[in-house]
Parts: sequence; structure tokens; C-alpha cells
Amino acid sequence: MTRDFLPVSRQLSKLSWPSLMIGLVALVLLLLPFVFSNPVLLDLMVLIFVYAGLAQAWNILGGYAGQISLGNAVFFGVGAYTSTALIRDAQIVPWIGGLAGSFLAVILALIIGYPVFRLRGHYFAIATLAIGEIAVAVASDINLIGGASGLTIPFVRDASGRPTDSWLWLQFNQDRLPYYFIAFILMVFCVLVTILLDRTKPGFYLRAIKDDQDAARSLGVHVLRYKQLAFALSAALTALIGTFYAQYILFIDPPSTMGLNLSVLISLIAILGGVGTIWGPIIGAAVLIPLGEVTRAEFGGAGAIELMIYGGLVVLISVVQPSGLMGLGQRIRHRRAPLTEPEARAAAASSSQEKPHATLD
Amino acid sequence: MPPLISVKGLCKSFGGLTAVVDVSFEIQAGEIIGLIGPNGAGKTTLFNCISGFTRPTSGRVEFAGRDITGWLPEEVCHLGLARTFQVVRTFPDMSVLDNVLIGAFARTVSRAEAERGAREVLELTGLASKAGLLGRNITIADKKRLELARALATHPRLLMLDEAMAGLNPAERQAAVELVRSIQAQGVTILMVEHVMQVIMPISKRVMVLNYGRKIAEGAPEIVAHDENVIAAYLGAKYRQQAPSLPGPAA
Repeated sequence: MTRDFLPVSRQLSKLSWPSLMIGLVALVLLLLPFVFSNPVLLDLMVLIFVYAGLAQAWNILGGYAGQISLGNAVFFGVGAYTSTALIRDAQIVPWIGGLAGSFLAVILALIIGYPVFRLRGHYFAIATLAIGEIAVAVASDINLIGGASGLTIPFVRDASGRPTDSWLWLQFNQDRLPYYFIAFILMVFCVLVTILLDRTKPGFYLRAIKDDQDAARSLGVHVLRYKQLAFALSAALTALIGTFYAQYILFIDPPSTMGLNLSVLISLIAILGGVGTIWGPIIGAAVLIPLGEVTRAEFGGAGAIELMIYGGLVVLISVVQPSGLMGLGQRIRHRRAPLTEPEARAAAASSSQEKPHATLD
Repeated sequence: MPPLISVKGLCKSFGGLTAVVDVSFEIQAGEIIGLIGPNGAGKTTLFNCISGFTRPTSGRVEFAGRDITGWLPEEVCHLGLARTFQVVRTFPDMSVLDNVLIGAFARTVSRAEAERGAREVLELTGLASKAGLLGRNITIADKKRLELARALATHPRLLMLDEAMAGLNPAERQAAVELVRSIQAQGVTILMVEHVMQVIMPISKRVMVLNYGRKIAEGAPEIVAHDENVIAAYLGAKYRQQAPSLPGPAA
């Protein structure tokens, strides 16, 4: 068609500028470690990728389906512990251990989800919170997996007994660059899963469940089944990242891999960035993680300041911008672009008849 | 021919309150049936019992030859029974098109196919020009139409409309009546709860009247309209004077 003959500038303008931006950011991220080899910066970037991936996984259930989980760290712990235990006790490589952890996390999610998804609203959040705390308590008592003192992953050593890097065993202590790319790929994978979900039937169904569960049921949506699907996906991705994290830190213990702090941080990142959006969790991680690292460096390791800032942010988001940073961006764009005529008419009509959402019965 | 839906001895009580008492009826495929009665007569509860939102205390619901008593709403929907809600339950944060897509996805996993179905329904219901607006941003008349469009997108054999025309002005109501007629013309059976007599009388072949949870009358609209019990319980004495102006019993 004539499309091929359009001048390049016109062809470029056919691409929406967000997708150009995304491509550009991805390119910068891929080249970044070759330009700046500062280990502190690389470590920060790895953490951002890890938390962005975790928030993205949380977003599938919390953002799309509207089921706020305050226990997602449990699956992170399951991923971390499964692969680590398999390395220590069965000499199984973390590639397989990660998949096994993911599989276990899915099973666990389905078992937890079956009774818990009958609860609505706040009760679901409270139930997941309790499950997280139970998991920490239980894991702290099982000596087979190190109990409260945790587990270390032994260094891979070469023939002369020196620690060495290994793709097979996923350890990169001499040249840490591979960690950067693996974390990046994990995050991209989470984004791709979300994009796929966003555009297909399950994604639509999850949004419908979030908006009005009973209306969704009347239109044939198997609510429990789709919540379980979202939970299982969320758990699987979270567990994969858990395995990576264990390989990165080489030490895990119950509070740091399953605790409430981690669960809350994951959800806070997604909420700050914008729930139910593809890019919100990434933006949230890019803002919150450096903020946490900087305050910890400036004000000491206790993390009290960090928690105060997080708390303040939660209040600020819920009062000023419940749809997160993504929503803020949209608002600015809408202010710039005048409403189209039907939009304006609809907006005028709705402002005169805004009423609380009714419930069945 | 066996009826499309048959309800036998349906009862529903909430604690001490009995909302539906021993209601039985049958509907043949292709009919439009009206369900009327004063507020609190149990019409919505009856709808909820049939569509799976509440489990009847006793009685049976058979649909398309299957006993669907106690089935879940989503299961009932997949069997071809769709309903709308008296108080609209539009998905507020989804576009009009996406609202209808949810219904269309009941019959397919393909988004392209669902979208084709959804656009057809939007065209039929006159919502095509509003496809891109958010559910929360449309007028109440459009929300009612969207409610119906969504249900229609699931390709029901029986469509149960719970006051789909309440709150509409006469012009909007007329459009809605035309819409219901054209839906029936496509072979969909319709059971509608309605308060507006000018709507229900000319459109339905048969009318059922509920009062205090009991069915007190059933029959052709003009006969029911002259029934003393119905006039006393629901239509009111004023209606008695108007009634003669209705078309007489069909020949």
C-alpha cells in the first residue's frame, strides 16, 4: 500500500511515542552496564529490576483482579527456599530448582486461594497477611531448611578450590554483570506476561471481576477460576524471582524472604506506580527502590526513615492520586489535550448524576 | 414442545420473611412474558433464584431440559440464560465496548471474534457511537441499554430484564421497546419485570402478577388488567377507569 512510500518522519509518527520511549529506555538499560561499571549502581539496578518484577507479578492479582494480597512474599520465599534446598541437599542446579519452586508456589497459591477467594475486599487482604506471618513462623521452625538462622548457598569452586563463576549454578561473584542481565530479562518476562494478559480474555475477565464481581458472574465469568489463574500466575513469577534473589544474595532467611515488610513493599511499589497498568509497577520500582537505598545510606541501616517515607507516600497516594504515577501522567496528558466532543458531553452528563455504586440484594 | 424454562413450586425465605411463595410457571421458546407486581412483591428475588444469585429454599428450576436449581450464575449463563440488574451494574472503569466484550467472551476465547460480536450488539442497541466512552461516563439511559447489550452479547436463549426501562423518558422508553421487540424477533425468549404498564401491556403475550411473593394472576395482558385481584393489589382503582381504553381481547 501507500504506507511504504510515506516519508520516514511520517512512518515514525505512526509509532506512538510511548512505544518509542519504551524501546529507547530498554536500549539504554541494556547498554548501561557497559558505560557505567560502578558496582553500587549495578546493584541498585538489579534491585530495581527485581522489585519491578515482583510488583508486576503482584499487579496481576492486585491490579487487574483487584485482590489486594499482603502475603505475596510467601511465594518469593517458596522460590528462594526450594532452589536453595535443592542445591544444598540434592545438588540440583537452580535452573531446575527455580522451576520446581515456581511449580510449588502455584500449588500453594491454589490451595490458599480456594478458601480465601470466597472472602471479599479487606478480608482477602487480611487473610493473605495472616498467611504470610504463618509462613515466616513455620519456616523459622523447620530445621531442615535452616530454621530461623536461614540458609547459605555454598560458593561454586574450581579445581583449585577458588570461588568461580558458573552459568550452570547461576553464580557470578567475579564478574557480576550476568546478574544484571538475568534480572532485566526476568523483569521483561513479567512485563510480557502482563501485556499478554492485558490483551486477552483472562485480562478482560480480571478487570471485570475487579469492577463488579456479580455483574461479571451474570455474564458467565467463572470468578473463582479466574482469580485462581491470576493468583497462580502471580505466584509463579514471584517464585522465579525468589530463586534469582537467593542466587544473587546467596543467603536467605524467613523474615527477609517471606516477611510482611517485603509483602508490603511489593504492593506499595505497584500502588505508587499505578495498579492495573502495564508500566506502573516498573515506574514505582524506579522511584521507590532508589529512594529506599538513598535514605538507608544517609540515615543508617535501621530503615526507620525509609518506613516513615513509605508510610507518608501511602497516605499521599490515597488522598491525592489513587491511580498512582501512571494516573498522574494520564491526567497531565488529558489536561493538555482537550476532550473530544462526545467525551465532553459524557463528562458533563456524568458529573450531574454521579452516584455511589449499588450492590446486589 | 417442552417449555424453555419451567419453574415449579419455587419458594425463597430470608429468615422469617418469605419473599417468594410456591411460584410455578412455564415459558415457551420465543415468548415475551411480563412479570409485574408492587414493590417488594418478590420479582427480583424470583429473578435471583432463577439466575443463580440466590439458592431457592425449595422448588425446582428447569431450563432447556436441565434441572438448574442451585446452579451458579456463571454456569446458568453458559447454558444460555442471561439477566440484567434492576440497579445498573455497568463496569465503571471499562469502556462501553469492553463492557460488551465481557459478555461476548462467554462464547469464545478469541478477542477478534468477541469484538466482532460485541460491535454487532452495539450496533443493534444503538451504542456504537459510544463504544469508546467509559462505563461511568454515560447517561443512565445508555447504562440501561449497555446492561442489555452486555447480556445479549452472551447469546442467551432466555433474556431476563429486570426493569430495563425504569427511569427512562417516553422517547427513550419507546426506543427500548423497539429494541426488545427486535431482540425477540431474533429468536430470544424474554421475561421482563416492568412497572410501566404502557410498556408491558402491548409488548407481552402473557403477563404474570406477583403480590407478597405469590403469583396472583397469569394470562393475556387485557385479561390480567381486568382482574379484580390485580387491580386491588397493584394497578389501583384509577387503572379500572383507564382499562377500557386498552385493546380488547384478541380475536
